[in-house]
Amino acid sequence: MTTLTRSIGRLLVPENEANRLANGDFVDAGHGYDVFGSSPAWIAAAEWALSPLYRRYFRVESQGIENIPAEGSALLVANHSGTLPLDGMMIALDVLAKSSPARLPRAVLDHFVPQLPVVGPVFARMGAVSGTRTNVKRLLEQGSVVILFPEGTEGIGKPFSQRYQLQGWRVGHVELALRYRTPIVPVAVVGAEEQWPQLARLSVHALGIPYLPIPATLLPLPVKYHLRYGAPIALHERFSPESADDPEVLRVAAQQVKEAVAALVVDALAARRGVFR
Amino acid sequence: MTDAQPPALRVLVTGASTPLGRALVTRLLQSPDTAMVLCACASSEDDITQAFRDEPRVRAVRCDLRRERDVRSMLFGPARAHKINVLLDGARHRSIDAEGPRVRALNVEATRELLHLCERHESIERYVLLSSAAVYRADGQSADVVEEEHPLDFRADAPQWRRDRVEADVSACVRMGMSRLRIAVLRLAELFDEDCGSQFWDYLRTRVCLRPMGFDPMIELLTVDDAARAIARALRGSAQGIFNVPGADVLPLSKLIERAGRDEVALPGPLLAPLYALRRRVTRLAFRYDVNRERLHNNCVLDGRRAKAELGYEPVTRVDFGRVPLPIE
Repeated sequence: MTTLTRSIGRLLVPENEANRLANGDFVDAGHGYDVFGSSPAWIAAAEWALSPLYRRYFRVESQGIENIPAEGSALLVANHSGTLPLDGMMIALDVLAKSSPARLPRAVLDHFVPQLPVVGPVFARMGAVSGTRTNVKRLLEQGSVVILFPEGTEGIGKPFSQRYQLQGWRVGHVELALRYRTPIVPVAVVGAEEQWPQLARLSVHALGIPYLPIPATLLPLPVKYHLRYGAPIALHERFSPESADDPEVLRVAAQQVKEAVAALVVDALAARRGVFR
Repeated sequence: MTDAQPPALRVLVTGASTPLGRALVTRLLQSPDTAMVLCACASSEDDITQAFRDEPRVRAVRCDLRRERDVRSMLFGPARAHKINVLLDGARHRSIDAEGPRVRALNVEATRELLHLCERHESIERYVLLSSAAVYRADGQSADVVEEEHPLDFRADAPQWRRDRVEADVSACVRMGMSRLRIAVLRLAELFDEDCGSQFWDYLRTRVCLRPMGFDPMIELLTVDDAARAIARALRGSAQGIFNVPGADVLPLSKLIERAGRDEVALPGPLLAPLYALRRRVTRLAFRYDVNRERLHNNCVLDGRRAKAELGYEPVTRVDFGRVPLPIE
């Protein structure tokens, strides 16, 4: 059974893409995996498997990918929505598809996700990491592109009536940017807010999940995704690493990032012709 | 003005009769600046003296580290006579099933006593404790990459094997900066070899390895060769602090099973505890699922950057997975 699974896995991995990713900013810990469990072969297979979702179903369009630095660390900070984190997946697929040389985006997950059976290891193989300070620090120090959603579960679980309204905006991303001298690339995701309206949230906490969403439809709607990458915000050029301990600096800087994301969202909303177009 | 030469290494090693201890002594002897290796042996000096019989720089001294008087006599007897300047505290019960006050006396009380006496010793200036990555908490709430500041496993219901290691580790850590000794604590990744107390060595000793369904954590393995190199560097250096000692092999559990040439069967977690208890009874192998439950679910990979920067240690030797034997069937 195991041998069969491995053989199928080998057939599914697009070799050229796996090699392209391995030659990017992947840091091999010795056996084709990095210390977090990510693997270019798995990412290439996931890219191939999710390609219909990215290209055909959500028809992702993006602008400003050149704002992501070709090398060195970067924090992609985006608005969060959609009941399930398909927005993070679409950003990751977009960066993978369009960055050259290949950048492996590392999505930061809420603490409960890596502890979920199957989901945790699959996300880890695809490059996602648990949102602990040490994990993110390690990624930034090794020069990775990290995807963060400062709204957290509050953003992804917000009611349909509050779509495109940014929720509680945490300041951790600014602290990381200042401490590890990393530019912040604001990202707007338009489309995800309408993909899967929620009917209700059940107070179920099995396996550490914060709640169980009850979506209005069985599958997400085939909305069209519009991604906008804004100009990098070099907070680290204005503030010293020590100011990462100043709550007022963090609050003001986080507000600036929030406004940049909100402005991109407004622009993208104004430019789109409809939810499905 | 010329730089002063560092003093020749005159080291007292506890736990020298283990595979790691022997590898360390061999490595220390390769350097001409090692003037003396005094090996403390629990029962008989014969093993060590036989193994290094042509080497005048090796001496063995019989010492039951569980007995305070023995420890005192060794430190202020042979260790003083040989002008020992560095002590390696590496003696721990390797068996995961060893429990009780006598086990604790070696695992914890001996460390306290050695530290206490070294602080009063006229020639010992450096104390290096061999600890283990098992002291870290690996509960899934913590980081995948474990720095030296990572939370320790202080759970009261942890097995004595782990509690003793945490306590000995903390006993040494709290003396840092409070004592004239230069103290270093080395937290070694899983030492993957025979007779080293490796749980994963025993885990891989059956044809079929059971693992938790839906989980595939990253496992880190350290070879005896790399461990000995890291310890030798710590003994020669003067850096004080806690240092992770990572291994060169970091791979998912499923890949580890594959590399060892075993078959894997993924089962729901609740089934694994009774099955592994049964396996222990049948095969007499030491792997305990209850002790390793978290390691089989969560990533726990050591960050070795501090050891690289301050000790100059980086793992280079890969595990030879073909060496893992199957049990007698």
